[in-house]
Amino acid sequence: MPRKVTYTVGRAGGPTREITVDVHDLDVDPWGADAELRVVGTDVPRLEASQKTTGAARYTYDVNRPNMALCRLLRSPHAHATVRSVDTSRAERLRGVLGVNVLVPAGGRITFAGKGVVAVCAENEETLDDALHAIDVSYDVTGGPVTTDDGRAPGAERVDPKRDNVNAGGRRGRQERGDPQAAMAAAATKVSATFRTQVQTHSALETHGCVVEHHDDGTYTVWASTQGTNAFRGSMAQTLGVPADRVRVITEHMGGGFGAKLGAIDEWDRAAAFFARDLMRPVKAMLLRRAEHQVAGCRPDSIQELSMACDGDGKITALSGTTHGTAGNGRGGAGAANTRIYRIPNLAMEQVTVSTFTGRARAFRAPGHPQGVFALEGIVDALAIAAGIDPLEFRLRNDPHPLRQVQWRLGAERMEWDRKRREFPGTGAVRRGVCCAAAVWRQKGGGDYVVNLEIRSDGSVTVKNAVQDIGTGTRTVLAVLVAEELGIAPEQVTVRIGDTQYPAGPSSGGSTTAPSIGPAAREAGHHARLRMAELLAEDWSCKPGEVRLDGVRFAGPGGKSATWGEACSLIDKSGLSVSGQRRKNYGGFSGETAGCQFAQVAVDTETGVIRVERVVAVHDAGRIVDTLTARSQVVGGVIQGISYALHEDRQLDRNLGDMVNPTFDTYRILGIGDTPRIDCLLTTLDSGFNNAGMMGLGEPVTVPTAGAVANAVSHAIGVRMTEIPITPARVLAALGGVR
Amino acid sequence: MKAFRYVRVSGGAGDVGKLVRKGATLKAGGCDLLDRMKERIAEPADVVAFGEVQNEYLRAIAATPDGLRIGALVTLAEIAASKKVAAHSAALAEAARRAASPQVRHRATLGGNLCQHTRCGYYRIATFPCWRRGADVCPVLVDGAVQDTAGVFDNGECASAHPASLPPVLGALGARVVVRARKEREERAFEALWRQPAKGVHEDVALAPGEVIVAVVLPPLPARTNVAYEAVRQRAAFDWALASCAARVTRDGGKVKAASIWLGSVAPTPRRAVAAEKALVGKAPGAAGFAAAADAAVAGASPLPGNTYKVELVKVVVRRALERAARRER
Ligand SMILES: Cc1cc2nc3c(=O)[nH]c(=O)nc-3n(C[C@H](O)[C@H](O)[C@H](O)COP(=O)(O)OP(=O)(O)OC[C@H]3O[C@@H](n4cnc5c(N)ncnc54)[C@H](O)[C@@H]3O)c2cc1C
Repeated sequence: MPRKVTYTVGRAGGPTREITVDVHDLDVDPWGADAELRVVGTDVPRLEASQKTTGAARYTYDVNRPNMALCRLLRSPHAHATVRSVDTSRAERLRGVLGVNVLVPAGGRITFAGKGVVAVCAENEETLDDALHAIDVSYDVTGGPVTTDDGRAPGAERVDPKRDNVNAGGRRGRQERGDPQAAMAAAATKVSATFRTQVQTHSALETHGCVVEHHDDGTYTVWASTQGTNAFRGSMAQTLGVPADRVRVITEHMGGGFGAKLGAIDEWDRAAAFFARDLMRPVKAMLLRRAEHQVAGCRPDSIQELSMACDGDGKITALSGTTHGTAGNGRGGAGAANTRIYRIPNLAMEQVTVSTFTGRARAFRAPGHPQGVFALEGIVDALAIAAGIDPLEFRLRNDPHPLRQVQWRLGAERMEWDRKRREFPGTGAVRRGVCCAAAVWRQKGGGDYVVNLEIRSDGSVTVKNAVQDIGTGTRTVLAVLVAEELGIAPEQVTVRIGDTQYPAGPSSGGSTTAPSIGPAAREAGHHARLRMAELLAEDWSCKPGEVRLDGVRFAGPGGKSATWGEACSLIDKSGLSVSGQRRKNYGGFSGETAGCQFAQVAVDTETGVIRVERVVAVHDAGRIVDTLTARSQVVGGVIQGISYALHEDRQLDRNLGDMVNPTFDTYRILGIGDTPRIDCLLTTLDSGFNNAGMMGLGEPVTVPTAGAVANAVSHAIGVRMTEIPITPARVLAALGGVR
Repeated sequence: MKAFRYVRVSGGAGDVGKLVRKGATLKAGGCDLLDRMKERIAEPADVVAFGEVQNEYLRAIAATPDGLRIGALVTLAEIAASKKVAAHSAALAEAARRAASPQVRHRATLGGNLCQHTRCGYYRIATFPCWRRGADVCPVLVDGAVQDTAGVFDNGECASAHPASLPPVLGALGARVVVRARKEREERAFEALWRQPAKGVHEDVALAPGEVIVAVVLPPLPARTNVAYEAVRQRAAFDWALASCAARVTRDGGKVKAASIWLGSVAPTPRRAVAAEKALVGKAPGAAGFAAAADAAVAGASPLPGNTYKVELVKVVVRRALERAARRER
């Protein structure tokens, strides 16, 4: 029987709201906005920090099994071609070549550069490389569009011969409300602009891949760089034609994914699995950097034609626009101006996807959002300036989110908005600018995941779940929540995760990992605490209800008291095992987390070089369990966002269809030398959706950065920057320096 | 990487030269060579371990009567940190310090920096056609190519841009290159080191088979002479320059008596801006003269549709380098 609990959600000190929710009978009471907690909400260093900094942490890339062979694919350098012939005979004759598997036989069609044509398995790196170079594939090269503009052009070669490249996407791609035409006509101020964003690749430091080992009993162990151990297992088992319980997937540490490592296994995983199965040897297949850029996912580009209008009070009245973008040879969405952040009574938005002969997009840290917010915040900024209203004031007038109203002011104060808007851009070759943009996200997490918790008489505590830590701090968050319940320190908790032999965990997508699994850990900790109270009650001859946790000690009637170690000594040899489960979402403060960022830039107007000098990032993610790993997420999101705004760009030759900059010296990512001071303000609150009041953080933190940076550049140089990355060439072109 | 023989030599540059004459490829730090070998755009059968040669001449930075001599195996990190280099030309130390990353600078040698091949993505990726690797046309020159980092001078047949940071400064310093040819060491003018691109030829240096660069000599600078280096990088650190300039200015009274101006990253080889020097000499070292020199520096530029901005950058780096050189004490 669920019980009714009434408590306050929101942010201590406001805004708050009282809610009454039905709490599952096995769940612990939610903390609420006013809870005073011991370790939750403090800076807790990542549990594996020293392993990672010393190199002891073992990533999939580091797994080397006895007698292991290597697998790699020969890839098509052509974007659109038909395979005329494949001759693998020379490769097969090489000593040390263990297997050759033709993936695209003669007659097969290639629709993106990087497509695997032949899979090879060999004893070692040298033989593998020789074998790949000894394969002769001839192609009939057709060519075809690789950019959105070319894909849209009349008469463009079709990616899918049966369908037009341009796909208006039907109702899903359209949003309409009110009467935007009438609102535009009646507007006091109206602006129009076309915004363009580039293709960004995920560029995780660890490339995709796995090691597959086939055991004599027909089972498999797979070490995989994946964002979802269970999803990977399901897909791998299906490929191998065995029940899922015959496959164990291990992801002990993960070198980043950003969305590109979600879901089903890939072509190279499949190739490795078949070789491992047939050869009865462990096989490793990790992508090289170039292939990682070509085939392992990207953020689609976008061309967003927007118009926005406001009334005489600076209230937005209408937004209309069309977005075109390409998700490669698939049909995924491109991302469009976000329509939820500001109150927009009249709306007409259409999203059109354009198929091109390029590697397919994949979910990428807040899919659709960084590009959508870049355009939205660009047009909002332009409208504010056209209406003669301070851009921050304009946002405050149009933002309905009660928390973001607080955040805008916090951020502005920290950035010294008023002074800088007055004093910038200044004079001289280097001009400065400051501006802002909003973040939004709406993931509460969910599922019915179970966390197992074991306590032994020596005081050791072990938490178990199959969930992977993709670098976000999942391991530490679980430890903190359990530690809070048990009155111990997070370092006392051993967290065993990233292994499908434990209860299933969520995939790390949509910023849902922490809020999906954290509440289950808290509940498990709660049950363990109740069991400990029973043991102590027996020992102290009192009622379990009389045993309290007093900070880091258990206390009972008559001054009885026990440390964690003393209490655990009462546990018998078999140990104490409990579990907690993620219950259905309860009520809640707001379904949308809020955030905003302010950026300050310095632009050398002679060279067009931009340095971001400072970012103030204000974010909410419900209750922040570990403020240190949370800030680390924010900093990472900001860095990735600046990188997107200024540098990252998958450059394809439009004639040859392949990527010209597939290395990290030419695919620029923001480095240490360019990383600004980043102030991170976490407006923690109790979201109310689960017993810990948590929500997701990983994605929203990168949503507003590019918009804030671009608007700051616009402020600095007095020209609206509508295209990212804002390279020196684009700055100079905007300033008219280049004829 | 194709299998190769790795040959260690006990002697010095002479022994290395003998092997190179027989077709072996010389490896110094390997930063450039190994990347090309991995991509199989270089497939040497024999690689000589030049970088392992323990030879004082090759590894020293020495003050000599002829000037400051820097051995070919001196690393960029050593050049950046050397007091002797700083005393001779802070601009050279600065160029070395701003190149690449700490790891690369500790490995990369002076000789390798001069002889490194272009970073043009089309050249570096074997599956792209490339005129320098034997294709009929340079794909960068075709409409629709990625052109933003390509060269804006001498790009009629190959649009590559010479990537190295040190050569413009060495050029401006009037460096002479010491080459070991057969038995003899001979000195060459810096300008004579470079060759214009040719179909099927990967190298940008004009060394005969068997010739090895063993040192660079920087002659003493005349009085009232300053040298400055300027580069534009999209990222503050660990990035290739989009354009760079080193300028040497000798003043006499209120006039520029002599000037040497070299450009980097904008042509297939480091490029001496002779017209800019001419425009400057005899003028007062001031804004008008520098602007005239900057304009003269880009005369004859032939930017591609995708890199017209680089012409502006050249003007900016020339002007800024001249302003600094006119200001600077050393
Ligand atoms: C990621 C990255 C970033 C970089 N950024 C920069 C930068 O910003 N600025 C910059 O200037 N450079 C940069 N470099 C290039 C680097 O400086 C050069 O690759 C390096 O200087 C080459 O020196 P090396 O000793 O490693 O040469 P090697 O790779 O050993 O040799 C390069 C070539 O020169 C030949 N060679 C070497 N020494 C001699 C000699 N003494 N005589 C005749 N031939 C010789 C070799 O045969 C080979 O063909 C970067 C490199 C990398 C990988």
